[in-house]
Amino acid sequence: MTTQDSRALPLAGVRVLDLGQFIAVPFCTLWMAWLGAEVIVVESGGRMTARGAPPFAPGHYGNPDASGYFNSLYAGKKSCALDLTSDAGRDVARRLATVCDVMVDNFSTGVMDKLGLGYEAMSALNPRLIALSNGAFGRSGPMKNTRGLHSTVNLFSGVADVTGYVDGAPRIHGGVLPDPLSGIFGHFAVLTALHERERSGKGQYIDLAMYEAMLTLIPEAIIDFTMNGNEPRRVGNRDRKKAPYGIYRCAGDDKWIAISVQNDRMWASFCKAIGRADLCEDGRYTSAAGRVDDVVEIDRLVEAWTREQSVDAAADLLQKAGVAAGPVLRCDELLTNEQLQARGMIVAPPHPVAGTFPQLGLPWRMDSLQADYRRAPLLGEHTHEIITGLLGMSQGEFDAMNAAGVLN
Amino acid sequence: MSMFAPQLPAGPLADLTVVELGEGTAAAFTAKLLADFGATAIKVERPSGDPTRQRGPFPDGKEDPNASGLFAYLNTNKLGVMVDLATNEGRDALAGLLSDADIFVTDLAEAELEASGVSARHLREQYPELIVAVVSPFGDGGPWSERIGDELTAFAASGLAYGTPGIPDAAEHPYDEPPLHPSCFVTETLAGVTAATAVMVAVRGRSIGSGGCHIDLSEQAASACIQVRDLMPSAYGNAVYNRLLNPVSIGRMPNFYLPCKDGYVTVAAPMDIHWTRLVEALGSPDWAVSEKYATEAARVANWEELRGNLSKWTQSLDSEELFALGERTKMMIFPFYPISRMADSDQVRSRESLVETTIGEAPARMAGAPFALSRTPWSLRRPAPRLGEHNSLLADKRTRVTT
Repeated sequence: MTTQDSRALPLAGVRVLDLGQFIAVPFCTLWMAWLGAEVIVVESGGRMTARGAPPFAPGHYGNPDASGYFNSLYAGKKSCALDLTSDAGRDVARRLATVCDVMVDNFSTGVMDKLGLGYEAMSALNPRLIALSNGAFGRSGPMKNTRGLHSTVNLFSGVADVTGYVDGAPRIHGGVLPDPLSGIFGHFAVLTALHERERSGKGQYIDLAMYEAMLTLIPEAIIDFTMNGNEPRRVGNRDRKKAPYGIYRCAGDDKWIAISVQNDRMWASFCKAIGRADLCEDGRYTSAAGRVDDVVEIDRLVEAWTREQSVDAAADLLQKAGVAAGPVLRCDELLTNEQLQARGMIVAPPHPVAGTFPQLGLPWRMDSLQADYRRAPLLGEHTHEIITGLLGMSQGEFDAMNAAGVLN
Repeated sequence: MSMFAPQLPAGPLADLTVVELGEGTAAAFTAKLLADFGATAIKVERPSGDPTRQRGPFPDGKEDPNASGLFAYLNTNKLGVMVDLATNEGRDALAGLLSDADIFVTDLAEAELEASGVSARHLREQYPELIVAVVSPFGDGGPWSERIGDELTAFAASGLAYGTPGIPDAAEHPYDEPPLHPSCFVTETLAGVTAATAVMVAVRGRSIGSGGCHIDLSEQAASACIQVRDLMPSAYGNAVYNRLLNPVSIGRMPNFYLPCKDGYVTVAAPMDIHWTRLVEALGSPDWAVSEKYATEAARVANWEELRGNLSKWTQSLDSEELFALGERTKMMIFPFYPISRMADSDQVRSRESLVETTIGEAPARMAGAPFALSRTPWSLRRPAPRLGEHNSLLADKRTRVTT
C-alpha cells in the first residue's frame, strides 16, 4: 500500500465484476485495480486458467496462490470463489452484477447469456451497468463463434501481412499483442462509458473485437489497398521514407542496435560519427529518397560498422552525435533497465505465499493522482467479505453455500 | 453522397474539448480516439504541417499534403488550425485555444514545448484544471529522457522487437532473422491509446476534485508493460522468451505456425484432449499415434520431429480446407489472411470494421470504431482538416468552439 500520499486514486468508488480469462480482460482490469477500482474476480477451483499456469514461485510448483501468471495479471484485485456451474453460484454472480458499475468478460460468444448474465437481463436489474464483452471476432458477424488465440487475431487482422523479412513470409507479432492491446482499448471504452453515465445516468454494452483493435495499427496498409489496390510488400525493418532505418547486428551473441536516421542532417551526423565523413559527400545519398533507393547498400555500410561495435557503446556514440539509436532490449533486460527503473515503472508488491517478484506498472506518471500497486489475492480470499458484506447475505446462507461446494 | 454526418447525435465525450499539438501518430491517435467518441478536437499544426501529411499513401501515389491516407485516418473528426509557434501571435493563439480546453495532448519534444510556451510545468501553473498529456519516446526524467527516439528505437527498447516473430511463429536462423519491427507505427499507436486511457483517468480525477493533471507517458514503457506473459519467465526464474524456435518460447506442443498449400496456418493442440482430437482429424496416421507423441512431455521432447510431420500434413491442404477442418473438429487451426482477404471478408463487412471515406477525391476504406458502444456510437462527423482549414476559430480566441 502506498502510504503518505494525499493524491486521490482516480477510480476509487468504481466497482467491477471481472469474469475475464487469458490476458486481454485481466490486463484491462489490472490497470483499473491499480488506479483504485474495486475489481472482484469471480473464479473457482474448477475455473482458474491463470492460477494453474506457470511459472510458479520457486518451491511452489502447482500452488494456485503462487502462479506468476496469476499474481502478475490479477494484482490489486479481489477474489470471490464461486462455482458458476451451480444455480446458486450463478445467482450470486447476478446479485454481484446488480451492485457493480462495470461487468467485463471474454468468454466465448453466448456463454454470458447461458450463465444468465447477459447484458439485457442484467441491465434490466441494474440500468447503470456498463458491460464490456471481448472476443477475438466480437459478438456479431459470421465469425462470432470462431475461437481465436492472439495468433489467430494477428493472422486475420492484416498485421501479419505487414510483418516479415524482405519479401519473406508473413510473421506473427510478439508480445501476444492483440490481448493487451484489446485490454487497453477496453479500459478506454469503460472510462468513456462511465463518463457518459455521469450525464445520462445510464450504462451501456460494449462489444470489443480483438481484431478491430488490431486494425488501428495498420492504417497505411489498409488505405493503400482499399484506395489504390496495392497489397503490402514485406520489407523487414526498413521504412519506405527513411534510410538507414533498421535493426543491425552488433558485436556479441544476438546483440542488436536500432538506428533511425530521420532526416538528411541526421545522415550527415551519422556518417561523421562512424568515421565515414566521405559518405556525406556522396551525392547519391544526400537525400532520403536517394538512400531509400539504394537501401541494400546503405544497410550493408551501416552493418559493416555496427558488427564491430558493442551495442551500448554504439548507441551512446550515435546519441551524442544527435542520431536516434538505441539497444534492442530482451524482456529480462527490461526489469533492470535504468530508464524504466528511474521512472518507477518496475513494481514488486510482496505476496504472502509467492514472495516478491517484479513486474511493470503503469507506463505513465501523474502529478495529481496516484496508483496503488497492491498484491494479487489468494484464491477465495475475499469470498466471505463479498458475500456477507457487499451482498448482505447472512452467515447462515454463506455456510449453506459453502457446505454445498458453491464457494470452492 | 457524403459519408460524413455532422448532424449525428453527440458522442459520449461531447462535453470535452481537446487541443492537440501532434506530429506523428501518438498524440494524433490520442486526440482521434477522443474526437471519434464525440470530443471537440482542435489539431494545431505548424506552417510545415504534420509530417504525416507527407507519408501517404496518396491516391494513385501522387503526393498531396491534403490527401495523405495516414493523415486522413489519424485526423478525421478534428478541426484544424495552422499556427506559427515561432511568433508571439502564434503562441498567443495557442494560449487562446488552451484557455477554453479540457485537455492538451502533444508529442513534441520538451525543448520545443518550452520554446512555444506550452511546457507541462507552465501549463499546469497557468491552467490548474487542464489535463496535459505529454507523450515522449522515453518519458520525462531518468537517464534516457534526453535521448533522441522514435517509433523504431522505442520499440527496440521495449522488448517487443526481440520477441518478434512471436509465438507460435519463431525465427529458425537467428542472424538471418533479426529482431523484427512491423511496417506500421505499433509503438506510437500503443502510446496513443494508452494516453487516451490516461486522459480519461484524469478526467475522472478532475470530476472528483483533483483538478488538472500532467500525464507523462513513455512510449518505451507503453510497449514494454504489455508484455506480462513474456516478462514472467525472467521475473520468476532464469528463462528468457525470445524469437527463436525452441520449447522455452513455444511451451506446450504442438503450437506451430506452418506453411500450407496456399499460405500459412497456425495449429495448436496444447493439451492431451486437443492432441487426441487433432490425431483424429489427421486420420490417425501411424506417426501420430506413436508413443513419441502420446503425452505432453513426449511431444515437447520430440517437438522438432512433430513439427516436421505436421508441416508435411499442412502443406498437403489449402487454408480453406484447414480452417474448415478446425471449425468442424473444434481445433485451433487458423490461416493467414492477407489484407485483401480480411478487407473483403463477410466478418469485416458485417461489422463495418472498415468504413467508407474519401482521401482527396479517391474513395477508400479505413478502420472504423475500435469497439462498439450500444447507446452512444462512434461516428464520422467530418473529414480530416486541410492545413489551416479552421483558422477562423482563432479570430476570437474566446469563442467557445462547437461542432
